Amino acid sequence: MKHPSTILILAACAALLTAGAAAGQTVPKVGLPVLTTSAGQSTDVETLNIVMEEAGIKYDYCDVPTADMLLAGVGLGGRQSGPGFHVEITTDTAKFPAGTPYKAVFIAIGASLKGMGASGLTLDSEEARLKKLCEICKQKKIFIMAVHIGGESKRGAAGSDNERMIDAVAPYADYLVVTKDSNKDGRFTKISKARNIPMAEIEYALGLVDIVKQVLL
Amino acid sequence: MTRRKIPALAGILILFVFLAGALVGQKSEAPAREADDLLAARDACTSILVGKDASADGSVMTTHTCDCGACDWTWRHVPPADHKPGSVRRILHISQYQTWPPSQGLKWDLVKKDYAGYDIPEVPHTYGYHHGMFGYMNDQQVAIGESSIGNQPKMANSTPSAGMDLTTLTLIAMERAKTAREAIQVMGSLAEKYGYGFHDEGEMLAVSDPNEAWLFEIMPVGPLWTPKSGKPGAVWCAERVPDDQVSVCPNESRIGEIDLANKDFFMASPNVVSQAVDMGFFDPKSGKPFNWKKAYSPQPGSAASTNGRIQRLWRFFNVVAPSMNLKPETANMDLPFSVKPDRKLSLQDVMEITRDRSYGTPFDPVQGIRGGPFKNPNYYRQTRVIDDARAEYTTVTQCRASLPGPIGGIVWISFGSQDTACYMPFYAGVTELPRSFAVGDHWVFNRDSARWAFDYTDFHVQVVYSEAIKDVLAAQEKYERGAIARIPEIDKQALALYKKKPAEATRFLTGFCLNNAKTVVDAWWKLGDDLLVKYHHLFLYDTEKRIYKRGQPAAPDWWKKAVRIFDILMEPDKQETRQGGRP
Repeated sequence: MKHPSTILILAACAALLTAGAAAGQTVPKVGLPVLTTSAGQSTDVETLNIVMEEAGIKYDYCDVPTADMLLAGVGLGGRQSGPGFHVEITTDTAKFPAGTPYKAVFIAIGASLKGMGASGLTLDSEEARLKKLCEICKQKKIFIMAVHIGGESKRGAAGSDNERMIDAVAPYADYLVVTKDSNKDGRFTKISKARNIPMAEIEYALGLVDIVKQVLL
Repeated sequence: MTRRKIPALAGILILFVFLAGALVGQKSEAPAREADDLLAARDACTSILVGKDASADGSVMTTHTCDCGACDWTWRHVPPADHKPGSVRRILHISQYQTWPPSQGLKWDLVKKDYAGYDIPEVPHTYGYHHGMFGYMNDQQVAIGESSIGNQPKMANSTPSAGMDLTTLTLIAMERAKTAREAIQVMGSLAEKYGYGFHDEGEMLAVSDPNEAWLFEIMPVGPLWTPKSGKPGAVWCAERVPDDQVSVCPNESRIGEIDLANKDFFMASPNVVSQAVDMGFFDPKSGKPFNWKKAYSPQPGSAASTNGRIQRLWRFFNVVAPSMNLKPETANMDLPFSVKPDRKLSLQDVMEITRDRSYGTPFDPVQGIRGGPFKNPNYYRQTRVIDDARAEYTTVTQCRASLPGPIGGIVWISFGSQDTACYMPFYAGVTELPRSFAVGDHWVFNRDSARWAFDYTDFHVQVVYSEAIKDVLAAQEKYERGAIARIPEIDKQALALYKKKPAEATRFLTGFCLNNAKTVVDAWWKLGDDLLVKYHHLFLYDTEKRIYKRGQPAAPDWWKKAVRIFDILMEPDKQETRQGGRP
């Protein structure tokens, strides 16, 4: 039997290689603070938030942040939840006081008419909001990680609600993370190649836990 | 301030007190946020369960008011089938809510594109069944009703790791189960193995057979579950309704403390407690017994505290067991799981409960001026009553132990708002459902769709509800109660045929049900036409005498007073200057 430390080193190397292979490219390092949000108001953003909690990462969350809120940084300018509008501030303000600019925005892509209806949004207004949000991120050099974990069934046909959300966000992303099931038709691979955006494919949402740690910690 | 305005303002003050009483007449509104959340999460289907000794005819009954407003309403019959060894059953993702334009095809054809990634081993024989949004009745008399109950937010699993949606589980239960207990085990074990969620979250199913009614609840276990984890991909629990009792699920988890040693009354997944411990919903060191609904789907509030938003639970028990004198102030989570009704419920009683509007209670939707001059209960929707104008359809299932499966099981189906619709029977052995039940959607008017016949009548009732509903009641008396009255004779004839040749019985039942449905649908198209003619221009047109009465239907005096009060209260200045013209 090999020495335990050798096994551990080998295992660590294997894990790194696996992560690299999964990503296909190096995982970008960005750091905190981070804002999580939705493109299309599906429940996939709740999955993203659970991933953050599983990874032990503190974050700010808003389902429909405006450009002003994004620019207000940590704490989102003191905005509070209300009907059809949800805010959750868990960022460690001892490390990142209110107003600290966000280094990253994680966007869970997934269209839900029910979710948009609850937030008083239409497809057009959600598209417009996301466009503005992404433009501000580009201007302020805020890292955008776009996540699609809804799978093939929720992708929809060309022109579908979900596809419009992908078009609104994915081309602006600095990093794409998608489940294999979401990318069966190579849609995200094409965007990744065309825009030179690094991309990671994962099997399940669980695979996102290690990725967010690598990006943020 | 002018002298003319002083008496007017004094009058306004007095009238304000009067009108405020009329407008409010209830306890203060629930906090806006709480009410908003409740509306979104707790405003869908109602499902009733009736034990065999709680029903007047010994049948086990369940209901499902499929309250959506934008969902697919179509129905299909799936015939029984034999399968070769090695066959597989493809698992599809099926959303309760997704619809497609009719030009793209029918839902039950289009869902075949949504492969969930699993092909499970097929059983040698699958039973025939009728299904709408869910499976409702198979030829073994296994029946199902449904109500969404939600779950703790971190339990949701909308990722593709969850292979099973609720609809798929109910369809497979129809295909494979001969009893309610088998149906629960089939659904539970598949959800554990392949993961539950994707399109759905916490759900309740009323699962019954000719002997038992079970209340089954199932929830996902979070988005980080994978099939490779070796852990169950769902957590579920089922409690049997005592035979002499009734229960209900109005979008709230109903199962409290559980006793898994009592196998005749409880079933659960192996992680029923450990999942709650792992997710931080239950502390075994707390000294308190494990409580399913408090752990996985807590619902604070009462009928009174939410101003009627969650009053269906209290209302149901108050209707069936008024002697218990349950209070609307009692927290819903403290109301009983089931009650013994003051008197045994007939099929007709159950149908009427699905039409309940809480009239005469503190949550009466037409008290004061809420319903307008013609007492329309659909104007004021702060109160969530059992009858729901958004219903796609409503089912009442009967499972009857005294008859063989194809004859004993009946699913009664009505389309649209329960109060203006008509229940039509479909025996379990029926081999065909009407073509008009398989087509149509909310966005394209379609005279080939049965559903639209009922919406057509419902629409024309809204104009002068208190008057037009009388015409509907007369039609229900003729067609719905007429059908109920014919059932014993149909049973008898079908049973005689069944004893000779079962296939002849199913042909006979199919003929009866299709003919009855066509008669009812035709009658409701005509009823809609008749109401349009009778009340057009808001006058009463007597088609026999060919006269119309301009003073009828008359707005009641209290309404005219309310209008004057409103004008004075809200627009006092305009009372002095308005000169007519269009509003």
